[in-house]
Order: sequence, then C-alpha cells, then structure tokens
Amino acid sequence: MNKENWHVTFDVFRQKTCQSVHFDAFPMDVDPDEYVLDVIERIWAFNDRSLTFRHACHHSTCGACGMRVNGVEKLTCITPINQVTHDGGKVRVEPLRNFPILSDLVVDMGEFYLRLDDAKFAQVVTLDAACLPFEKKQQVRENGDFERLVDCLECGMCISACPVALTTSEYLGPAILAAAHQTYQQTNDPEMISLADKQDGVWRCHSAYECTAVCPSNVDPGWRIMDLRKIVLRSQIHKFFSR
Amino acid sequence: MKNESNSANLIRWFDPRHRQLGTWAFILNRITALGLTLYLILHLFALGNLARGPEAYDGFIKLAKTPVILIGELLVIAAGLIHGLNGIRIALNSFGIGTRYQKQIFIGLMIVVAACLIIFAKSMLFGH
Amino acid sequence: MNSKPHAAIIGGGFTGCALALDLQMRGFQVKLFERGEICAGTSGRTHGLLHSGGRYCVDDVEAGRECIQENRILRKIARQCIEFNGGLFIALNDSDVSYGDRFTKGAEECGIETEELTAGQAITLEPNLNPALLKAYTVPDGSFDPLRLALSFAATARRYGAEFYSYCEVTHLSRTNSGRISGLEFLNRHENQLHEIRADVVINATGAWAGNIAAMVNVTVPVRPTPGVMVAYDQRLVQRVINRLCIPDDGDILVPQRRMVLIGTTSFDHDDVDYIPVYHEQIKLMHERAAELVPAVKNAHPRGAWMSARPLIASQGDTRSLTRTFRCFDHEEQGAPGLITITGGKATTCRLMAEKTADLVCQKLGVPANCQTHDLELDSYRQYYARAGN
Repeated sequence: MNKENWHVTFDVFRQKTCQSVHFDAFPMDVDPDEYVLDVIERIWAFNDRSLTFRHACHHSTCGACGMRVNGVEKLTCITPINQVTHDGGKVRVEPLRNFPILSDLVVDMGEFYLRLDDAKFAQVVTLDAACLPFEKKQQVRENGDFERLVDCLECGMCISACPVALTTSEYLGPAILAAAHQTYQQTNDPEMISLADKQDGVWRCHSAYECTAVCPSNVDPGWRIMDLRKIVLRSQIHKFFSR
Repeated sequence: MKNESNSANLIRWFDPRHRQLGTWAFILNRITALGLTLYLILHLFALGNLARGPEAYDGFIKLAKTPVILIGELLVIAAGLIHGLNGIRIALNSFGIGTRYQKQIFIGLMIVVAACLIIFAKSMLFGH
Repeated sequence: MNSKPHAAIIGGGFTGCALALDLQMRGFQVKLFERGEICAGTSGRTHGLLHSGGRYCVDDVEAGRECIQENRILRKIARQCIEFNGGLFIALNDSDVSYGDRFTKGAEECGIETEELTAGQAITLEPNLNPALLKAYTVPDGSFDPLRLALSFAATARRYGAEFYSYCEVTHLSRTNSGRISGLEFLNRHENQLHEIRADVVINATGAWAGNIAAMVNVTVPVRPTPGVMVAYDQRLVQRVINRLCIPDDGDILVPQRRMVLIGTTSFDHDDVDYIPVYHEQIKLMHERAAELVPAVKNAHPRGAWMSARPLIASQGDTRSLTRTFRCFDHEEQGAPGLITITGGKATTCRLMAEKTADLVCQKLGVPANCQTHDLELDSYRQYYARAGN
C-alpha cells in the first residue's frame, strides 16, 4: 500500500447553477508525493459525488485539469501535494479565473477553443517548429524528419493569470496570441498579422508575464507576444514602403 | 459573476498575492504613474504660489526644506526612476528586446534605483 | 426530423464519440451522455499509443489485423492529433531474438509493414536506446493525444447534428411494460436537475463501467476492469515508440508524446473502478522497465504517474490473456431489448468498434444504412465547442 502520512484540508470551491458560491472543507489523508488531481478525484469518489471537475489524460497532454491551487494556476495532474502545502496545511482549490463557471471547478472553455481555431493553431508540427527558436539546438535532431504535438496544451492557465484578461474577455489573451505566433512562424500566413494587429490583439498586453510564469509547458507566451509585435511592426513597415 | 472577465476587476491589478516578479513590475509601474501624476498636480499648485508674491513663495520654500517634504521628494525621485527605467524595459520588451531576461533586467534596474536613492538621500538629508 | 430513429449513447470516451458520429451519419438522432467531461474515463488516460498491431500479431492475428487497418485509417482521418514517427520493437536478449522470428511471421500475416534492423542501425536511429540491444524491427506506430482524438470524433458528430450532454450522469434506464428499454433518466450535474429522454435504442459504451450500467436493468456484461499504471518523464528521449520484442508483459512500451516519454503498463485486479490508487511498487517497476529500454530515463524526472482501467472481456484465465478485441452484447437475449453494450477493445480500434456496433443497431432497427466513417476526415476537434446552430 501507499504511505499516506499527511493530513491536509482541501477547501474546494462549490457552485451549482443558480446557487451561491461556497467552499466545502474536506479533511484528507494524503501521500505527499501524489498529485492534487488524485486527491480531488478521491474527494469525488469517496466524499462527495456531486463535485464536478475536468480531467482526462492525467499526464499533462490534454490540458483539461488546470485549476487555481492556493491562488496560483496549476496543472493539477502534475502538481504534487508537497509542492503546494505541508503536513497539517490547507489546499484551496478554485476554478480558473476569467472563464465563465459551469459548476464547481468546471469552466466554459468554448470561446477559448474556437479562438484557437481562428489562429489556425496546428497541434502537430515538425520538431523544428514545435520548440522555441532559441531552444532549437537541444530539441531538434539532425537525423530525421520528425513531428510532434506542440507544447501548448490549451489549458487556459495563462488566460487565468493574465491581468488584462481579468478586466476584459475581448482581449484575445496569451494562448491565442502565442498560437498565432506559432502559426505565423510555420506558414507566414498574413491573416495572423491581422489577427494580432488589433486593439484587443498584441497591443493589449502590458508585460505582466504571468502567462509565462504559470505555463506548465514551455510555451513562453510572453516572449511570443513581444516577438509577434516585432513581426507585426516589420510587416506594417514593409507594407508602408512597398506602396 | 465574480469569476468572469470584468472591468470592475481592475482593483485586483494591485493585489500581488500569489503572483510573480512580472506582476510586481506591473503594479509598481501603475502606482508610480499615479504617484507622479499626483505630484505633478501638487507641483503646479506650489508653483502657483509664485503668483501670490515673494512672502508666500518664501514661506513655501521654508516648508519644502523640512525632512517630511524631503522624504516626500525622495519618494518622487524613486517613483520617477522606477517608472522611467521600468518603462524603458517595457518599451524594449515591446520590440522583442530582452524579453527572455525580463526578470533579471527588472532586478538589475531596481538595484540601480536603490543605489541612486541612497546617493540622493545622502546629499539631500545629510549634505548641504 | 421526427422520423429519425433516436439513439442514446451512454459514455463519452472514444467508442461513444466514434459511435455518435457513425450513427448520426446513418440517419439517427444521437444523444450522448457522459457524467464527466468527454474522455473523463479510461479513454482520457491512455498513453496514446497508435498501435501498429505488432504487439498482437504473434498471438492474436485478428487483433493485429484490426489494428493495422485502423492505424492507417486514423492516420488519414485524425492527422490533427497524431504524432506519426513510427516505432521499433527491440530485442534485448536471446529469447527476444528468437521471438523475432514469430514476430516477422505474425506481422506478415497481419499485413503490418516491418523492416529488420541491426543493433547499429537501431542505435543510429535512436541514440538513447539501450546499447545492449541485439536487433530491432521497425513498425508503423504512432502517438496521439487522447482528449483531442475523442473531441475530433465528437466535433464531427455535432456538425452532423448529434447532441452531447456532458456532466450528465445516467441514473435510470426506462422500460416499457413489455420490458423494452425505451429511454433513460439523467442528472445534469451542473444544475443538479433530473431529466428524462426517450430513445429507440440505448447503447452502453461505458467501457470499464459497462457492468454498472447493465446492472441498472439486471443484465450482465462479462467485462473485467483491469487497471494498469503509467509514468510520464519530462524528456523526449526517443522520437519513435519503443516496444520490447517479447510476449506482452508489464512496462514494455515507451511512447514519446510532446516533450515527454511515457512508460506503461501493468495489469492487476481492482474492485472499485471509480478510483484506483497509484501503487509505489508499480511505479518503481515502471522505472526499471523504462530504463531497460532507454537507460537515460534514470536521469529524467517523473512528471506524472497515473492509473487507467482497461475494459477486458473476461472468460477466465489471468488478465494478460484476456482478449483486447471488442464485443457487442445484444441484451435482448437477457431480457432487456433495446439495450446494447459495446465494450473491450483499445483506442486504436475505436472507429471499427463504432462501425460494428452501428451495424448491429441498424440491423436490429431495420435501418438500411452503411458505415461512411472510414474515409471522412474529421473536423477540427475544437469545433466540438461550436455554438449550436453554427
């Protein structure tokens, strides 16, 4: 059997349609090495079957299990308990910010997914195109033409952490702009320039860099947004002088 | 609903809890901006004293040399340095320069601010 | 509109979503019910190996043949979420080498294209392989993202008009006086409200939970939930899927995915399908087995460890010898006409499982429609969230 030697209290955000927000406390015996998502699943399985939450792969590829844990965005399937609390401590679990809540820990990611389609974001690209340009030496092999799923899991954590997204849902947000950046790097599609070159596109970013800080997956949206600004400016200057 | 994007959430910009260094720069830039704007307004009022004749102005200058006002002026210098230097960092980032090292650059600039403040404080409070 | 036969599918994993597409294309009005998010059950947790069939071709030619055919179909219709870099079966000792002869025969019988490689050639292709390897065979393996594969079927099904009810847990199956299954009752877990719908046929596609749903109407399904552990490491040490060239065993597949490699799996019994703990001894075993294939795993950091309960169709015997092929159960024979269960199988064959189930459903309801999903390129998985009426 597993060692379960920490006693931790989980305070979980609860809200069903047309009801008020409240937190339910669940005292749990946990293994400090197990993941936050495992405990949430145990809460559902043994304590409260009415708890709703999103999860699928349990290994950081699907991006479904993003939540706020003690106020910080975490991908709960790869966040060990010992990273967020100590024996006798509390773990506050809330849904991602800046998305409409469907119930409890489930938020509506529909608009977010559809915007990614607007950015024509491809999930499978060559190794070369999948990593950040300044990582190519370590990430790309010379002997072969490989493809892989990209870094962005579409988890929405960057949007949750962004102070601009906090104040308006019109802002495309880090994930979408990072996606447009990647699409442009691969395809030079001018539609990406027009997607980004808007008041609610790249120009709305105010350099808080929380997106890069919370991304569980090496996307570095902060860098990509600024690089996209460079790309947009370059393209505008070209257009101006080629008239 | 409280969880959704809303312009009323703006007050939460100034809450640095659970956030990282980039947010501190973000918050400092806004607070120093508000502070400097307030200072500008006060400064204009003070200058208005010029129109009220030499005694009124001299009286104000005497007040300006008291420690409270001097410390206030140090805060203004701090705000100016923080806002200006961080502003340069943000402007460079906006052109894709230094984005990968934004944290280190911010720390470096704040050290410069601290050093300048120590020098200015020395000469303002203990010099002359 | 109203003359369409109504099909209710319980279970939003690969089988349910693929079946929703197939039946909707054949003229049914499909409503699918999943108590969590799409792929919240076994399907979501697969390590994402797109089987070439090499693992089954020696002992189960039927399974091997199914795999390679579906492998080729999925690579065509679901390209958007598959990393296709091929795979290797590697021999680490003499026993593996002699298994290689049976392997080549089996692969040929199933139609799986393989090529024999010397140790040197294999290491050139994949420098991180165990240098003690003796020989290798290439296979057309791939790696896919589980949630996105299911969503791509679901998105296409929605475009054809299927309705998806996630966070809706089926609580009760309705029956007419004659005992025919006529619909179901479900709890909308966002709202905490019960609702009822009618259906001409109800299909239980809940995989490892099939027995639970069947029990609602006192029928049985011989499915044995069989959990296994998987571990993800934080470095993409290989580009191709690495399989051990031997009789299927624990921890003999290493799958690259994004910036990770995933090792799986084990096989054991566990009563409660809703929660299976992750056992430390099993994780340790996975570390050892992974290191046998790719020693550099020892320097990589484990990123995640999780359990997944596969639905194995039980007759008797130890869990490894249970078939991973699928079966449809028509519960009319057990006194519950109108209920069909589809279970067993693996992700790679989900479209075929859906096809066979839809064939049975059409036959029972007298709907003369054929499967058209084998060459329909699936919609962007993100369109699953398109607003209704788009």
